[in-house]
Amino acid sequence: MLPGVLALLVVLQAPWAWAGDEERKLEAVFIGRFASYIEWPAKPRERFVITLLDDNPFGTLLDDLYRDKRIHNKPIELRYATRLEQVGETDALFITLTSASARAAAIQHAQRNGILTISEAKGFAESGGIIQLDFVEQKARIKINHAAAVKSGLRIGAPLLSIATVLRGDKP
Amino acid sequence: MSAPYRLVLCLALAGGGAALAADKTVQETNDYYLRPLDALLRVETQAKAAVGSRGGARDALDAEVPIDIITSVQLQSTGQADLQRALAVLVPGFNAPRPSITDGTDHAPPFTLRGLNPDQVLVLVNGKRLHQSALLHNNGTVGRGSSGVDLATLPLRAIERVEVLRDGAAAQYGSDAIAGIINIVLKGYGQRSQATVTYGRTGEGDGITRQGSLFHTLPLAGDGFVNFTAEWRDRGATNRAGADAGDGGRMNTLFGDADTQDGLFALNAELPQGDALFYLHGLYDRRRSSAGAFYRRAGDDRNIGAIYPDGFLPRIEPKILDFSATAGVRGVLDDGTRWDISYTHGHNDYHFYVRNSLNTSLGLATPTSFDSGATRYTQQILNADFSRKMGRHTLAGGYEFRRERYRILAGDAASYMLGPADNFAYGAQGFPGFSPENAIGAGRHAHSLYGDLKYSATERLMLDAAARAEHYSDFGSTLNGKLALRYRATDDLLFRSSVSTGFRAPSLSQSHFSYTGTYRNSNDAAAQFWGNFAVEHPVARALGATDLKPEKSRHLTLGMVFQPSSQLTASADVFVTDIRDRILPTGYISAYSLSSLSPQAAAVLAQNNIDGAVYFTNAIGTRTRGMDLRLDYSHELANSARLKLVAAYQRSRTRITDVNQAPEVLGVNMTDLILDPFTRVLIEGSQPVDAIKLWSRYSQGRYDLVLNLNRFGKFYSVSAYDRVAFSAKWTLDAELSLRLARDVTVALGGVNVLDVRPDKWGRTDDSLVGAGKVVQYSQYAPFGYNGAYYYLRLGVDF
Repeated sequence: MLPGVLALLVVLQAPWAWAGDEERKLEAVFIGRFASYIEWPAKPRERFVITLLDDNPFGTLLDDLYRDKRIHNKPIELRYATRLEQVGETDALFITLTSASARAAAIQHAQRNGILTISEAKGFAESGGIIQLDFVEQKARIKINHAAAVKSGLRIGAPLLSIATVLRGDKP
Repeated sequence: MSAPYRLVLCLALAGGGAALAADKTVQETNDYYLRPLDALLRVETQAKAAVGSRGGARDALDAEVPIDIITSVQLQSTGQADLQRALAVLVPGFNAPRPSITDGTDHAPPFTLRGLNPDQVLVLVNGKRLHQSALLHNNGTVGRGSSGVDLATLPLRAIERVEVLRDGAAAQYGSDAIAGIINIVLKGYGQRSQATVTYGRTGEGDGITRQGSLFHTLPLAGDGFVNFTAEWRDRGATNRAGADAGDGGRMNTLFGDADTQDGLFALNAELPQGDALFYLHGLYDRRRSSAGAFYRRAGDDRNIGAIYPDGFLPRIEPKILDFSATAGVRGVLDDGTRWDISYTHGHNDYHFYVRNSLNTSLGLATPTSFDSGATRYTQQILNADFSRKMGRHTLAGGYEFRRERYRILAGDAASYMLGPADNFAYGAQGFPGFSPENAIGAGRHAHSLYGDLKYSATERLMLDAAARAEHYSDFGSTLNGKLALRYRATDDLLFRSSVSTGFRAPSLSQSHFSYTGTYRNSNDAAAQFWGNFAVEHPVARALGATDLKPEKSRHLTLGMVFQPSSQLTASADVFVTDIRDRILPTGYISAYSLSSLSPQAAAVLAQNNIDGAVYFTNAIGTRTRGMDLRLDYSHELANSARLKLVAAYQRSRTRITDVNQAPEVLGVNMTDLILDPFTRVLIEGSQPVDAIKLWSRYSQGRYDLVLNLNRFGKFYSVSAYDRVAFSAKWTLDAELSLRLARDVTVALGGVNVLDVRPDKWGRTDDSLVGAGKVVQYSQYAPFGYNGAYYYLRLGVDF
């Protein structure tokens, strides 16, 4: 009896990611893949830093995925922040904030510091975010605010632009 | 093996299993990482479902209750012109027979889930309750004595997906969610505009269908949108009647689909404003329809030879107006609390007209066209919801106020009156009108408070408790609850279970429907009344009728989901649903049909000049048991081709388990009063005992091939008090579509391409129904009796 209960407890506490959670897997993948098509102004950091702002819906998936990966020939460091003030120097910022005003503040911070911003939030690209990831009818779609990228000093590669809906002004 | 070794082994296996599971997820994610970007955009993710959860959409497979997702691609590939028929070939346990010569039911046929009644399914549009039809199915069809939602009022092209929750959920959503919930999600953000025209006809050349639809999307700021769909749907009649031997072998009757034209419109809009989002959706359908009653031969007492020398076929031609609209605003507070406030208004007007008919009792002065009156139903709902995540908890709840109104409007006098010429046959032949005595305006309102607490005990174990208290102004209060558990044993395997109670409020049509007529035989001193009396009618009261109580239900569902890879998912669920106090119309209460009718009841009838009466009552309890199996498989082939397969099996059986006491005043027991062989078979055997659905789609380059194999299980009907079995049948639908250009697609398809028909009736003593007679097929046939149907569709995206 006791061994069974203990085994159950081990199983219950084990880290988990449901095999069918394809959206989450794709999101995790897109963060790094987007970054590989973007050029930043030269920065003296030895690591490529990805920061997740607010709730972490990935569990340990990002750590597991990026543990042995490199972006722009740099090893990857993942950071998790719950408030904007906790976001230090970073190259990419994945934003899960639910409040539009908080997202706007994060976008402003990112533009000032040359940070790539990515979010699933509706209206994100229109409101100055750089890459908006949508899922429509079970397929991913990418919306890019090119003007916001330029304003942040980032250059987005043609292969990424070619598969995205690109906002070149403020209009969709 | 000693206990310590067993402990170590168990821990190792458990921990190892979890580690392997996590490794597999990482491995699959790594595989994605290596793919080209454009290939990632082609990956089809798992379907999300919002139904059954107030905490937002989640993977349907990850839900604590079984949910099927039907995509717009699946709906459109069926070749069916309306949603109800499309779901009938895609959703196991969804039954949509096509009754004919059944008055109003021909024009708004019923549908059921898991073999229960049309009013035991809750239908939502974008998560908001859709109103029922004003029509009470009052003939011998599946769903007799109930009012259901008319799914044909939705344009098919406006729909993004349909979520079918296969579990009782009245503790979350309130009345009606006994067999399950159908949540219709309209196309929203990110869609392309599309125009489509379709032409189709049956293999016998009738049933010509012309359909044109336009879906147009206008993007708004902040990823808002205004989407509208306009559709014109013209479905010609089909006729599978046999020759009438009693009329010289003439083909004088129509038995098949009604001749129906629908003008439909749908709107779905969202306008984000900061942290708030204003939304609006609406539906509109105006329908004209025409179907026949039974033929009145030349020498029939109900005919006047001077008007129709060869007899006549009365045509019942209702005009149906149906619309609904929901407006609301939802948003999120700084602390993460999500809120949603909305108002919904729904209305259905079912107006009966009769053409090519007469009122025999008016003699030659009779008109031949009649306004037979109308039934109307209006529903208004004010709703306020909230949900908030607090650590491992998600707390949700809300308040709802619902107001309903039901009306019966009398027809013109000639449609119902008993004139001087022939006192035997009153009113419009085919469908006598509602009389001023039947006219009524009834209403009620209900307040509901509900709460839902989800607790993630661990990342693998989730518990959900829900409760809903309601107070109805007519029958009082109910309190229902639900407990659900979801446990992910491994990364691949999920167990789920739920127990709940539920209810269905008696519909206003059941409480207040009144449809009576008069006749006078030569030996009657006064005109005799007969028909359906509302439960509050003095005659019904004198015969023992009482206010209707809600139907009460209990549910148990136990299931599992197995997902060895992201391409393959299998699920199995078993369920039990007990319902007590089910509401049925009584049998015909008359001295001659109920031999043991008490003298007191007979005196009531005689004193009121009533030949016989029917009213609704809480009559029986039933148990429905069954199982659902489902398998989803998708595979990307080497040559960029894709294969998608959805296989499903459903089995359910309903048995009468309790029979309530009949009113003492009648002096008969409830079995004699209600459970004649016809009613017993209607409840226990009229719907297919099982169903198999096998939908597959093969896509390569410019081509898509869809095959849909269906097995409709065995069902029963009744002839002369004997149960008659109708065997299971397989049908095959196929569609081949070709992209002529990037935005232009043409599709050629066939429904029931093997031209399979249901069994015909055997030999019967009935003069019209049976082998070689006018009506050769059972009304309960789950896939109709038209045979093969072929269509061509052209679609342009823009």
